[in-house]
Amino acid sequence: MQPILKINLTSGETEEYLIPKQWEKDFLGGASLAARMLYETLTADLDPLFPAAPLLFLTGPLTGTFGPTTGRFVVCGKSPATGLWAESNIGGFWGPELRKAGYDGLWITGKAAGPVYLWVEGGRLEIRPAAHLWGMETYAAQEKVKEEVGKSSARVCVIGPAGEKGVLFASIMCDHGRMAGRTGLGAVMGAKNLKAIAVRGENEIPVFDLERYKTLRSEANRKLKEDNEAKVLRELGTAGAANYAEYLGAMPARYYTSGSFPAVDEVSGAKVMESILVGRSACQGCVIACGRVVQFPSDLAKRKGPEYETMVGFGANLLNGDLASVVELGEMCDRYGMDTISASNTIGLAFHLYEKGILTKEQSGGLELQWGDAAVIRQLVQMTASREGLGDLLALGSKRFGAHFNAEEEAVQVNGLEVAYHDPRGVSGMALSYATSPRGACHNQSDYFFVDWGHSHEEIGIQFIERQAQAEKAANVARHQDWRTVFNAIVMCIFANVEPQMQVNLINAACGLDWSVEDMLTFGERSWNLKRAINNRLGLTSQNDILPKALLTPLTDGGSAGFAPDLTAMLSAYYQARGWDPVSGKPTREKLIQVGLEDVAADLWGK
Amino acid sequence: MAAVFPSAEWLKELEAKLNSDERYAEIAKNWEGDLFFFIEPEGNLKERLTFYLDLWHGKCRKVEYQPAPDAHPNPAFTLTATYNNITAILSGRLNPMTAMMTSKLKVKGSMGYMMRNVPTVLDFVRVAQAVTTDIL
Repeated sequence: MQPILKINLTSGETEEYLIPKQWEKDFLGGASLAARMLYETLTADLDPLFPAAPLLFLTGPLTGTFGPTTGRFVVCGKSPATGLWAESNIGGFWGPELRKAGYDGLWITGKAAGPVYLWVEGGRLEIRPAAHLWGMETYAAQEKVKEEVGKSSARVCVIGPAGEKGVLFASIMCDHGRMAGRTGLGAVMGAKNLKAIAVRGENEIPVFDLERYKTLRSEANRKLKEDNEAKVLRELGTAGAANYAEYLGAMPARYYTSGSFPAVDEVSGAKVMESILVGRSACQGCVIACGRVVQFPSDLAKRKGPEYETMVGFGANLLNGDLASVVELGEMCDRYGMDTISASNTIGLAFHLYEKGILTKEQSGGLELQWGDAAVIRQLVQMTASREGLGDLLALGSKRFGAHFNAEEEAVQVNGLEVAYHDPRGVSGMALSYATSPRGACHNQSDYFFVDWGHSHEEIGIQFIERQAQAEKAANVARHQDWRTVFNAIVMCIFANVEPQMQVNLINAACGLDWSVEDMLTFGERSWNLKRAINNRLGLTSQNDILPKALLTPLTDGGSAGFAPDLTAMLSAYYQARGWDPVSGKPTREKLIQVGLEDVAADLWGK
Repeated sequence: MAAVFPSAEWLKELEAKLNSDERYAEIAKNWEGDLFFFIEPEGNLKERLTFYLDLWHGKCRKVEYQPAPDAHPNPAFTLTATYNNITAILSGRLNPMTAMMTSKLKVKGSMGYMMRNVPTVLDFVRVAQAVTTDIL
């Protein structure tokens, strides 16, 4: 591996940190290696917004290698939203560029005296003043930084005004609207007075056996191009799934109180393709190109089109059937630097509480929160980013927003992270995905909805089990989580439908390993348990493995009507499959030792 | 006695079932598109088979068994699967969405249209499954 550059923003000191060889093998890179690196640092009393909190930008061994969808990296730390492990996976071109600049990661601590940005070029770092960039929206800030460093080819990670103001779901953006959206790491970056990080390099990215890797990646990319799922993503973007999800009753509407959205034909990836799509965008080396470029007839500007989560969050979730406003709201969040899932979810909660009479017109600052009113939604997005009026409460996320109105149980979140738009009443595996994810209600640590839609992976023992089955799919979900943890380590996009054998072949060629598929999955299991142990150290117990009330209440309409997951039974089976202690919620000593985490076993259970 | 799959008789029975099934007529009322099924030889099937179906607004306007290669130059969709995978779908052992998502059923044509019309696709399979349990 290349060095990690440690940067203390308080003192301005830097240090090149070399990853221990054994860690390279046991944790590879990305979120897994980050968990190992930060294990001791992330303590229960650490305030994520204080200078001591770490913020780690880390690539993986496949980042920038032109393997299938491998232009990615992760940002990790402690989440200000959840107080738990934070990781966020992001595409674009920044990660590959960092590796070309000679580093596999940046480990940032401290807090600059005033706003700064970092300029990393060819193994050299400059900390530059950024007071003039403070308050600037993300796209403009990227352009300004590129102009200042004098390299139009530089790649820039940046926060927007939301990160500066400590919005707890602030994101970090790079390139054409690629987001590290979840867990509020943009607020951590803002708390360090760090506006942006520009990188540029020309080094060769190290690959252990480049010739073999080239052969493998050609074959993998060729197969991926022909894959049906990749074709859907290329043609329709991720929002191409909207119609099918709605049909299954797996696309929540009206803040998770309805399983039906009659306007789905007007707010979907298919509608985008038929009406406003003018191009596609891809992360480095990606043959899928799920990114949308859209243009309205009345508008010269070409814009980023919404992906699935944004489409549903500002569409069905708020009963908004106006596609143009969904595009605009997604773009507003990008420019302010906010996660669209958490933003739309929290605004949805405000609408829900308003409808129930819990939030009054007086408390909303005179706004009438009527479902589908795009003008009001727009206003709330703006108020959230600037933390004005009701927006100051919305900026805290749905858990705290609900608690403020004595209605925390109405918030559709787990451990402080808002639930994404895959309803476990329509795709029951997501009940476990949300309840046990190491970062709150996350759909990317295990996008098990794909399996419940029908995408089995028989070669690694993940069969298709009926979409509303219960505890019988618990072991499958655990296996799927282990596998997806590999993606977040190497770092590969979960949309890459690459066969596990090919995936392990790529890892072996890139890292000089001799793993089998089972070795790869054991690696995933080790990392999953490590993240769980971090959270146990931060105070998480089995009492945190929960779902909000709404998701345990059967819907009365749509394709999933009448069903609710039996979370108690599912968790019981899941704990058994995982080898976790059902009382404390910790991995058992035996399990930790079995997956090669002897030191963690001693830490959690004593010597 | 029901026709054996795959055969010209089976295809004609499928046509008749599609045209008499009220549920299919309702769900597929907006579908506009013809398609080729290519069944690749495997197991009991020794040669490639081709079915042609013209599906329109909840009805099947035409079927052809082993049509001439140039008979329908621009079908809306071509679907290709091995014989074992097709029979697995028809016998209910393989979920049709699983077949599509794992590329066991290869699809050429507008994926946008396909994703918009998943209910039609699934109901088409339901009708096809009801034609016979007698498989070669």
